[in-house]
Amino acid sequence: MSPLFRPKHNTLAQISLFVVAAGAVGVPGGLMLYARTPYARGMQDPIEQPLQFDHRHHTRDEGIDCRYCHNTVDKSPSAGIPPTQLCLNCHSQVWNKSPLLEPVRQSFIQNKPLEWRRVYKVPEFVYFNHAIHVNKGVGCISCHGRVDKMAAVEKDTTMTMGFCLDCHRHPEANLRPVSEVANMDWKPEGDPVDSGRLLAAQNDVHTRTSCTTCHR
Amino acid sequence: MSCDDNHEARANDRVRRSLPVVGSGGAPAGGPPATRKLWRSIEERSRAVTPGAANEFPGGAADLEGSSRRGFLQLLGVSTAVATVGAACRKPNEKIIPFVRRPEELTPGNPLHFATGYALEGYTSGLLVESHEGHPTKVEGNPAHPETLGATTTAEQALILGLYDDDRAKQLRRGATAIAWPTFLSELKARSASLAGNGGAGLRFLTGPTASPLLADLRRRILERFPRAKFVSYSPVAADGAIDGAKLAFGRPLMPRHHLGPAAVILSLDSDFLNDGPEQTRLSREYSARREPSRDMNRLYVVEPAMTVTGAMADHRMRLRGGDISAFAASLCAMLSGRGLSALGPVGSLGHGAGLWDSKWLVALAADLEKNRGRSLVIAGRRQPAVVHALAAALNSALGNVGATVEYGVPITTDATAGVEALRALVEEIAGGAVDTLVVTAENPAYGAPADFKLGQLLKRVPNVIYHSLYEDETAQSCNYLVPAAHPLESWGDGRATDGVVSIVQPLVAPLWGGKTEAEVLSAFVGDGEVGTHALLRKYWSGMSKLPGNLAGSFDGVWERWLADGIVPDTGASSEQGLAINSQALAQAAAPLLARQAGQAGQAGQGALELAFAPDPKIFDGRFANNAWLQELPHPIIKLTWDNVAMLSQATADRLGIETGDILEVSSRDRKLEAPAMIVPGHADDALTLPLGYGRLHTGHVGLAVGFNAGELRVSEAPWFDRGATVTNTGRHHRLAITQDHWTMAPDGREIPPPAVEAPLAEVLSSGSMFNEELEARRGAQPTIHEPVDYSKQQYKWGMAIDLNKCTGCSACVVACQSENNIAVVGKDNVWRGREMQWIRIDRYFSGPVDDPQMINQPLGCVQCETAPCEYVCPVNATVHSDEGLNEMVYNRCIGTRYCSNNCPYKVRRFNFLDYTGDISPARELGMNPDVTVRVRGVMEKCTYCVQRIERKRIATRIEGRAIADGELETACQQGCPTQAITFGSLNDASAKVTKLHADPRRYDLLHELGTRPRTAYLARVRNPNPDLVKVD
Repeated sequence: MSPLFRPKHNTLAQISLFVVAAGAVGVPGGLMLYARTPYARGMQDPIEQPLQFDHRHHTRDEGIDCRYCHNTVDKSPSAGIPPTQLCLNCHSQVWNKSPLLEPVRQSFIQNKPLEWRRVYKVPEFVYFNHAIHVNKGVGCISCHGRVDKMAAVEKDTTMTMGFCLDCHRHPEANLRPVSEVANMDWKPEGDPVDSGRLLAAQNDVHTRTSCTTCHR
Repeated sequence: MSCDDNHEARANDRVRRSLPVVGSGGAPAGGPPATRKLWRSIEERSRAVTPGAANEFPGGAADLEGSSRRGFLQLLGVSTAVATVGAACRKPNEKIIPFVRRPEELTPGNPLHFATGYALEGYTSGLLVESHEGHPTKVEGNPAHPETLGATTTAEQALILGLYDDDRAKQLRRGATAIAWPTFLSELKARSASLAGNGGAGLRFLTGPTASPLLADLRRRILERFPRAKFVSYSPVAADGAIDGAKLAFGRPLMPRHHLGPAAVILSLDSDFLNDGPEQTRLSREYSARREPSRDMNRLYVVEPAMTVTGAMADHRMRLRGGDISAFAASLCAMLSGRGLSALGPVGSLGHGAGLWDSKWLVALAADLEKNRGRSLVIAGRRQPAVVHALAAALNSALGNVGATVEYGVPITTDATAGVEALRALVEEIAGGAVDTLVVTAENPAYGAPADFKLGQLLKRVPNVIYHSLYEDETAQSCNYLVPAAHPLESWGDGRATDGVVSIVQPLVAPLWGGKTEAEVLSAFVGDGEVGTHALLRKYWSGMSKLPGNLAGSFDGVWERWLADGIVPDTGASSEQGLAINSQALAQAAAPLLARQAGQAGQAGQGALELAFAPDPKIFDGRFANNAWLQELPHPIIKLTWDNVAMLSQATADRLGIETGDILEVSSRDRKLEAPAMIVPGHADDALTLPLGYGRLHTGHVGLAVGFNAGELRVSEAPWFDRGATVTNTGRHHRLAITQDHWTMAPDGREIPPPAVEAPLAEVLSSGSMFNEELEARRGAQPTIHEPVDYSKQQYKWGMAIDLNKCTGCSACVVACQSENNIAVVGKDNVWRGREMQWIRIDRYFSGPVDDPQMINQPLGCVQCETAPCEYVCPVNATVHSDEGLNEMVYNRCIGTRYCSNNCPYKVRRFNFLDYTGDISPARELGMNPDVTVRVRGVMEKCTYCVQRIERKRIATRIEGRAIADGELETACQQGCPTQAITFGSLNDASAKVTKLHADPRRYDLLHELGTRPRTAYLARVRNPNPDLVKVD
């Protein structure tokens, strides 16, 4: 009778031990790495909306301020997705026969809201407030990126707690005059941190990092 | 070894190894402590240790039923796998759905507040309801309303849960057939046409008491079309005695309105005026405003059968059976007529009942009243018969109080009375077959009407019963049409408060399940069924020849103003002037009534046991039975949840061989009822108090079969007090979920200084008294080995002060907190296991003898210790300190070790043992506060000082570029409190009210000796005893 275990089994045993050990470290590690990839975070992934709304056209070509449509951004926790009626403020006059705008007109006529796909989402346990950020001079661009260059909006920043805390600990680089928050082309003069320090004083910025600032 | 044994073993360990605590023992060296020995339950008083209190949670709290170890591990494995896979998946695809047309006033994300009103027992209080994107989420009082003054009752706070109750009646039906509203209207049209043929002779309306101008107008229009129809108002808890009493005293029906502002001495004759009745919110405010310790402090005497919220606040309380109170009032008249109030001569000559009470007490009371002529008040309760109210009126009149502390006005309800007598006539008509169509808009009369009327069975004899109701209740079982009612927060309407002020009731949301208002049902009889309440209401008010308030401009503008303010100006009722008591006539009318009472007065013992029925302080007459917040709210006195009990005194229980929890068989007038007993300190002997509203056979699943129905023993002849009951002990037991021994701060029977402190006024006012010295030792910083954190540089340093002198224990704060903070309801079994979740508990302490104790309330949420013991033991930093000194709870870090709760000396942390919110209805979700996380199983939670309100206000003021002003930020408990016992603010603001209260000489810290530096300070209770009655303890 041949032996049950042959020399090759030693190798096999060593390999399987290695695989188990590598798996124990590698699988969680891999998952952790994966969770940090832009793909897993849903970044660099333009979201196709039910309506081909182009921010580039509206903000750059027409020069419409972000706050014309997202008009609760400076007074409410929510920036506000414009109601259909607001679209028709212009589009009842311009491009009022465009087939691209048919869903908008139907929404208004049938009193059925347009259903947009969400791009940015903070976890349920986070109570983010747009108004205080905008009123203290944090530009739209700091979190949302160059929306004026996106055909379809994509998530531009990680939106992790680390991302929030970095700025809450050192907000200077992300500050600008309150009048410039929606300006996509604004650049600080000189060193952003130095000018940020001045702006922090000017805008009365006091960032907090206590848990209940965001979690309640 | 079970979990339980483990706990006990560890608890025993703790006893042996207990360490000395720095600064322990609150009393200064030398001499006995000035404060009194407190006890929470009779067991605690007699044995010094509460059974089971050695454990932080009562036995069974940590047990996991219905799950084996293997099952648990399987679950664990699956959940780990799901979590791993879930974490690796990308975020799901979510939708954002904006408005098509956004209402102009609405900013998504910011709540709106709407002024409205809520009518209970016919009187409308003013409310301010918070609404998030069209969902009402929180009820507050309307500060501009003269009766609510910005505060609320427990029932008003709980309206939100009632609105979203998935058990509400949802389908309009004829018999078992679902029909639509237009079908109903067309059927009604045919019927009313045939009824109109004989002037509506067979048409009857049974409504609740109401003071709505619109409903009164609809009634007028209905009676024009059907001149022979009749309206009857009925409420099982009607306060008819007051109106009938005024009729006895002044010759015509009048309604008393009380004012405690000028009252230096108050005598309550079985009146729970601080927690019952339409004036309770205002009276609580006025009462507490005169409780500041000074020579000007008011003094409250209470004579009552069972301890109530008002009785607990009394400086002097006498327990007396309800039926003997008339004799007491007559004797007081006699005593005062002997002291020179000759107007009381004729009624005074009727005095009886000597020997039932301490005559010294009566003499002292009479002297005190007489000394404070024009500054005193005698107030009689809703349960007392007309004669007691008449005697109270005579006393007030003779003492010169009429016009100062009490005024009388024409009743503002459409029917002056709503008691048994009017219903009796209707019942006779039904029995005689004279009623063809009966429209019932009263609250569940088949359940609430006296048992001898057998109304439920009688209703089946009426060919057509149209019932308008929120629930498929007992009455709905015997009606052919059921019209689901719109909830008050879904309804248009109007109503008047006790002082006559009109509020327009506006809906916060369209009826969730197509409910209809009472006005819509009534208007169908005059052909206006399709019009809708809003149009009816506007038509009624715009049609008035002269609008109240003389506002300039169009009606639309005036209407908007009324809606925005919540009150219609210049609609207050006037009071009658020049009222005179006809003493002789009163004496004549009162003599037979008093003689009858006097015949029973001396009786005692088994055959003379008095049954006393009482509206329940939580679910009232049963209308809130399906409201889980109210069912789970600990009763303000007996701390019972999810049940009612037959309350009796220790002496009576000893005589009858009864212990708390025994099931009694109570027999009265050939009726029998089984009810669990509970021995209640301070209850009158030979009396049994039976709270109404429980034992429901038909309602939603929350209130079904909770407790027993005391109404089964209640007969029309004796709706409130009935003598001659007998009681036998069945020997069986009922498990009661009582919270009074939960969350003890003195585990292992350890001695702690009295948590709730009180002292007589004289001691408080003298600076060098032992009391003041003792309090001095219970505040200020304790030595610590830690470097103290300096919070003075922060913009805010949040703190709270709770004035025990003002807290009545009404529990509005507990429900307000539950509503604001999305606190879960756990059910009776879980409360019994000590898993109740309310963040505020109101500790209720007795002191003195069991028979006749004094009571003191202490509301307690997280006190936000600066050196918080919970924080040191959390292994995952789930509870940490904020820069402003708040003790924060970070739910998503919490892994549920419960170490923090174990180490919390105040026992204010609450743990989600089960997933209490997982199965709530989609409707209920709409009522959650979107600013507060809904907690899941396995997470610890506790009072946060309403941090969501702080942050919202902080952001709003920072945008405006200013600081939060003192008083503009209120916690939910503070806002709901009728007596303003709770103050919140920044201790870094020297001028803030809370800072001043923290520096008050009455201030002390709870468990100060532990050095936790709590941010919540307490102000000691002050009693103002009559020097003539001060007993030496």
